[in-house]
Formats: sequence, structure tokens, C-alpha cells
Amino acid sequence: MFTRKRTIFAATVLLAMTAAAAIAETPNLGKPIDEAAIAAWDISILPDGTGLPKGSGTPAQGAVIYAQQCVACHGDNGRGGAAAALVSDQKIAGINAGQKTIKNFWPYATTIFDFIRRAMPFTSPRSLSDDEVYALTAYILAENKLIGADEAMDAQSLPKVKMPNRDNFIIRFPDRI
Amino acid sequence: MYEARTYSQILPDGKAYRFYFLQEVKSFITSPSHGAKLKGPGLYEISGVAYSGTGRIQKVMVSADGGQSFAQAALQEPVLSKAFTRFRLPWRWDGGPATLQSRAWDEAGNVQPTRAEFVAVRGELAKPAPVLAFPNQHYNSITSWGVATNGEVKHVYA
Repeated sequence: MFTRKRTIFAATVLLAMTAAAAIAETPNLGKPIDEAAIAAWDISILPDGTGLPKGSGTPAQGAVIYAQQCVACHGDNGRGGAAAALVSDQKIAGINAGQKTIKNFWPYATTIFDFIRRAMPFTSPRSLSDDEVYALTAYILAENKLIGADEAMDAQSLPKVKMPNRDNFIIRFPDRI
Repeated sequence: MYEARTYSQILPDGKAYRFYFLQEVKSFITSPSHGAKLKGPGLYEISGVAYSGTGRIQKVMVSADGGQSFAQAALQEPVLSKAFTRFRLPWRWDGGPATLQSRAWDEAGNVQPTRAEFVAVRGELAKPAPVLAFPNQHYNSITSWGVATNGEVKHVYA
């Protein structure tokens, strides 16, 4: 009786260990992904500029690309059309939600680069080179008078652009973060 | 980014809430509600749903006089955390004008704000914003249904 109990106990322990080993393994779905394949998708730019690629562009270069790729939806000089205005003189306080624009609402300039590279042009996202995205970012910032008309944007200069609404975001539930 | 830009609630003073998920305690009456027509004076069941992102619904109070007096509604089991909770209360309509409201409390002690309390914090638009402007993220104040003497039920501010 004693021996049988020990056998059952040993079998139970063995079963538990096998189960634990099985959980530690993968479910054998899909295939491993290599670093190069991940890099193509890993394009997030952090607010402080982390992740910004090499390259640069000026507002003048951006104006040419804007006329080819963006004006149909975003309107002349970024004043808005079928898609949202990119250039505006909206004030910060007392606006409604439809009046949020880059200049009066976005807290970080680096987001402009991330968004254009990730999502624009609407019909063929990821088709622009990094230089072109820097140029368009510079063009939008210059049209909004947030940088000078001759200022080039690159991985060093773009994070230094201070957006007007930078310090106006408050946390609704500080104790839940 | 799109979510942060579109769904970050702006406040009257120019500040904005950083994007957040939590839905605060809220309730609204689904029957009778806007568009309904009561056939005549008599007994009706007021029913609606309440929910809270911070836990279970503790109680729901219902008013038929625009918030001057309230009665506690029955909650349909099971009452689960962060889940729609059905409430109901019998109501005898005398045929006069009435304003139906519901107000919920959750187990964390939060109470659904009145419209006046909500507007005091969030402000009030001079005119309706475009629908695509998503002007009312996390809107959770009391919703009022006005009952006219002919039985028509319409949305009102009260």
C-alpha cells in the first residue's frame, strides 16, 4: 500500500514537471522572426527624438514634395481641404475639438515625422524617403512659423523644436498610472 | 498619435487631459427614451443601464421631476465590475410634464455628475461641433428625457 502510494506520488510529480516543461515551450505556431524583419516595422519615434533616422530636409525642399504629394487633400499651403489643416492660427484656449491642429495642440514636433513616415501619403504610406519626410516636417513647421524658413530638420534639430502646447497636458487620474 | 490628437479631451482653459481609457461611472435611461411616445397616463417601467470603469455599480437613483426627488432603482443581477448593469423602477405617469433622469454610484464611491457639474469642469460649446470632431470624450453626466403632456419623449437639458 505504502509502495503504491509512493508510485502514484512519483507519477503525479513527473506529470506536473512534464506539464511545466510543455508550457515553457512555444506552441509551434508561425516561424521565428529575425532582427532585420523586425527593424522594418520598428519605426516608432519617441517624443524626445529617439528612433529618428539619419537624413535631413529643408522647408524649401518640403514645399516641392508637398505640391506633388500632399496638396490634393491638405490644401494650398497646408490650410486644409478634404483632409485636416496642417497649418493654422488657431488659439490654444477656448477651441472645440475640431480646431485641434499641429501648431496649437500637438505637444511634440517629432510626432510629425513619425506620422508622415508611417501614414502618408494616404494612398501609398511608407513610400517617402527619410529625407523627404524630414523636408515635409520642416515645411509644415516653417509654414506654422515654428522654425525659420531656412532651418533644416534632422535627428538633432527636430527634437529641439518647442511646440506651443507642450506643457498643457494634464493627467486625469495620476494615481492610476 | 491619431488617438491622442482626436480623443484627448480639451478643457475650457486651454489644458487638455492626456489620453486615458477609464470610463467613469455613468447611467442612462433606455426606456422610455428620446423618440418614444407614451400612450397615456398609467404605469410604466423606467429601465436603463449603468456602468463604471472603476468597479461595480452600487446603486442607481431615478428621478421623474428633473432631479428634485429620486427613488432607488432595482439592479438586475449579476452586478459585475465594469459591466453594463440593468436597472429598473416602476413609475406611474400622471399625464403631466415630467423629466426623467438616472444617476449612478459605483463601489469606489464615485457618483455620476449632474450636467451642471460636468459643464463646470469641461465647459460648454457655443454650438454643436462637427460629429467627426468627437467633442465629448468620456461624457458621463446625467441624461434627461423630457416627457410632454401628449406623451412624446425628447432629449432635454435639465
